[in-house]
Amino acid sequence: MPVSNNDSTMNSAISTDLGLRPWQLFLLAGMLAATAVVLVSSGRSTSGVVVLSVTVVAASLVAVAAYRSLSPLVSPEDLVPDAPAGGHTRAALEREKALVLRSIKELEFDHAMRKTAAADFEEMRDRLKVLAVGLIRQLDSAGYREAVERDLAARGGRSAVVTPAPPAVPVQAMPSARACAACHTSNERDARFCKACGVALAGPT
Amino acid sequence: MATLGQFLLLLAFVISAYAAAASVAGARRRNGRLIESGTGALYLVAAVMTVATGVIVHAFVVGDFSIRYVQRYSESAQPLGYKIASYWGGLDGSVMFWVFLLSLFGATAVRVNRERHRELIPYVVATLSVVQMFFLFLMISHNNPFSTYLTEAPATGQGLNPLLQNFYMAIHPPTMYLGFVGLTIPFAFCIAALITGHLDDSWLRAVRRWTMISWFFLSLGLTLGMIWAYEELGWGGFWGWDPVENAGLLPWFTATAFLHSVMVQERRGMLRVWNVTLVITTFFLTLFGTFMTRSGVVQSVHAFGEDRQLALMFTVFMSAVLLFSFGLVIYRLPLLKARNELDSWVSKEAAFLANNWVLVFSAAFVLFATMFPTLSEAISGERLTVGPPFFNTWMTPVGLILLLLTGVGPLLAWRSSTLANLREQFVWPVVTALVAGAITLALGIRVWSSGLCFVLSGFVVGTITQEFLRGAAVRKQSTGTDLFTALVGLVNRNKRRYGGYTVHVGIVLMFMGFAGEGFGRDEQALLKPGQQVQVDRYVLRLDAIRATEDSQKQMVTGHITVLDTRGRELGKMYPAKWFYRSKPQEPTTEVAIRRSLAEDLYIVMAGFELGEQSASVEVHVNELVNWIWIGFGLMALGTGIALLPERVFALAGARVGAEATAALLLLSLLLTPVGALAQTASDGVGAGTASGTLVFRSALERDLANEIMCTCGCRLPAGTCGMMNCAGKAAQLGKIKTLVAEGQTREQVIATFVQDFGGQHILARPIDEGYHRLLWLLPYTLAGFTALGLAFIARRWASGRTDQAGLGVPATAADAGLQQRLDDELRDLD
Repeated sequence: MPVSNNDSTMNSAISTDLGLRPWQLFLLAGMLAATAVVLVSSGRSTSGVVVLSVTVVAASLVAVAAYRSLSPLVSPEDLVPDAPAGGHTRAALEREKALVLRSIKELEFDHAMRKTAAADFEEMRDRLKVLAVGLIRQLDSAGYREAVERDLAARGGRSAVVTPAPPAVPVQAMPSARACAACHTSNERDARFCKACGVALAGPT
Repeated sequence: MATLGQFLLLLAFVISAYAAAASVAGARRRNGRLIESGTGALYLVAAVMTVATGVIVHAFVVGDFSIRYVQRYSESAQPLGYKIASYWGGLDGSVMFWVFLLSLFGATAVRVNRERHRELIPYVVATLSVVQMFFLFLMISHNNPFSTYLTEAPATGQGLNPLLQNFYMAIHPPTMYLGFVGLTIPFAFCIAALITGHLDDSWLRAVRRWTMISWFFLSLGLTLGMIWAYEELGWGGFWGWDPVENAGLLPWFTATAFLHSVMVQERRGMLRVWNVTLVITTFFLTLFGTFMTRSGVVQSVHAFGEDRQLALMFTVFMSAVLLFSFGLVIYRLPLLKARNELDSWVSKEAAFLANNWVLVFSAAFVLFATMFPTLSEAISGERLTVGPPFFNTWMTPVGLILLLLTGVGPLLAWRSSTLANLREQFVWPVVTALVAGAITLALGIRVWSSGLCFVLSGFVVGTITQEFLRGAAVRKQSTGTDLFTALVGLVNRNKRRYGGYTVHVGIVLMFMGFAGEGFGRDEQALLKPGQQVQVDRYVLRLDAIRATEDSQKQMVTGHITVLDTRGRELGKMYPAKWFYRSKPQEPTTEVAIRRSLAEDLYIVMAGFELGEQSASVEVHVNELVNWIWIGFGLMALGTGIALLPERVFALAGARVGAEATAALLLLSLLLTPVGALAQTASDGVGAGTASGTLVFRSALERDLANEIMCTCGCRLPAGTCGMMNCAGKAAQLGKIKTLVAEGQTREQVIATFVQDFGGQHILARPIDEGYHRLLWLLPYTLAGFTALGLAFIARRWASGRTDQAGLGVPATAADAGLQQRLDDELRDLD
């Protein structure tokens, strides 16, 4: 799972001796202030006092948020945004795979409900399966690459820029069911010639 | 305190600007610090707005009348709940409330999605910040809720309009705003996706939930508004096609369209440009609705007032939004190409397309009709009225088409349906439709639109029942459990689909409630104590009129006994009028309603004479109206089911989860209170024989009463106006009566009114002549154009081939191992 950079700014070395996190400190201060306000304004209408104390606590949240907003600018740690366009983290790939698997199950269910014609069903299912296989393969290799990079980072001493993972399998993956006998390229179900080497494809279209 | 409040607004504006700048700069430069800081700034704005809200609510609660806004909408004797509700009672506060909700929603959306959609977050923050900045700017420069009296502040407040002092004021605006504001989030994600180019389906997933939640709140807000109008305003109806009502309906149409077309994109990679267009349009319509109700551009009984400067600021912002958003869409057009074609018109995709077409047409139609009076005034100087009759004429067939599609959609297959498919799927729903038709005829209902509605309702219910039962049967076969567990497991595994079906059943019930309006009864009666009249199958006897009072108001209540035609007492009803001391000229009407599943008996005391103890009452019998509220309850249930997290039960293990869900659902069904159905005990009380006067109105008079507008400013036809102390209605109805008695025809009466009032604005819909033809022509032309456009696009899809750049994944032996793993995972997945 990717490192949660947000939490790091909150857990920074600036925790008090009491072991309080910054937001807890502010909230506590806010509640103390609210108590003080209540004590000071005794005798006034209850609802007014309630609203006032809630407002004071909210003000402490302002302090929390201000801290949250300003601390990244001055924090000593280097924060790196996640791999930008073109890359997907492992978690994203996992989610993608889960969704494709769900889609396959849903498709099978629709077929059982007699909502899809057999030919359509097989074609769509095969396409989704190829997609899923591709994602599994990517996940396997992604795990390896992440391990290598962590290793490099530990040695380099500098946080490594995460190299973009190979582009996620575009959903325009080939609907495949026919592998060419010569070059093993997957072709469309109704293809008659291999698109890579041009050899005529055997078998019924 | 006021100064603090002003400072906070200014601070929020500055911080929003920083958030936008930091996020964009951070994203462009890949600087994580700036991005984190920008995100933090968004949270900060939410916190600041919370404090600002606290400040103004405090001012209301303690009665700080030095603040103008507080003085205008509150007074010391006002109950606490309404003092707080006054926060959103006026224009300035409502804008601040908007920003408050937007900041909270935005902060939540960003926080929830910050890991999953990292690449989008900076631009989401920036977009949200810019929208916030606009509304904050409105307040700071123009409508400051914290502005004070420069000189002596008044010692007392004016108080909230008594009409607004009811339970619904506390919940209707917040839910509406939650709906409106919530639709900003999908827009922000959409813009972020367009800017970053991450146009795969991940932005859709981020956005689907939010859209559903916002859509739900919008539906809830609209329904609460209907209930409010029905129970409080006293005209016997629940929807007047008022501009402000329409403003809430417009984004509802497009959001509904989006929720459907998103499924097509997920399944088949089509309609991608269309989806981004819908999201942008929905957001734009929320802005437009706000603009309409606050700028004075349209006249409405709900409107906040007229303000040209505000109108200008809104116009500039809305134009900027449109230009920027659609510019981005055009820029990203290559990435938004569809991956598949429309293979057949007899397919689910086509049904969804039709669904979208109908919904967007409805939005465009309602928008145009709402703006037509303004347009006509701008063009010809003559202000017209486009009232309920016009809308109802057109929206009825549109609604029926939508109902038909609701039934047809689930029956069609993706890509294309074969004839065998169709035959098998359509048989039972058609049967239920015919049965419904037979029942309708047997009950003697002869109104064509209502009858057709019932037939189609039968069709839809048949479709949905079939879906549930067949799905459960399939699941039962594959899991080997009993039917009930299979049913629960089915819903659990396909929450979105079956939640959606439940929502559709709710819609069907609501449509049935709407259809009931077609054959209700409206009568007016003059009664003295002891006298009685018969309306439909009820006999109403006035017993007395009593006056009472409390600290805030004086109440005059009519005591009416309701009997059936055989003289058995069914119950007592107490219509009243309340005169608030702070506003004695504007009494409120307290309606008496006797509810049952079949109909409501609805009585309003329009006028009274305490001395003579006589009363003039309006009696409405509203058929099937409670099904609207019940239908909404089902919609809420369905939405809840659809929103349940996918992961939760998957992690728990499918079969265990199913059991748990079964228990939960069963429990919730048992605990859901069924609506109270009024059936009071019948005491055999001897009915008096004295008869009151039922005001006779001929069919022509009733028809004309719906075509001539009331003059009291309610913007309803004279026949339906139920506004308190309305002076105009009686005059209008009396005039109609006189003219009809003189023997004038329908056209002559209308012409007389136009002449006497100096224009067509006194009519509920403009006469179909001259350039007013445009209004009448519009629906035809709009429907025609869009249908043509759709056919054109579909044809291009079907003939063109999309470029499928393959990866050429070699099918080697290694695949066999992966295939095996895949099969294992699929088997383990429920």
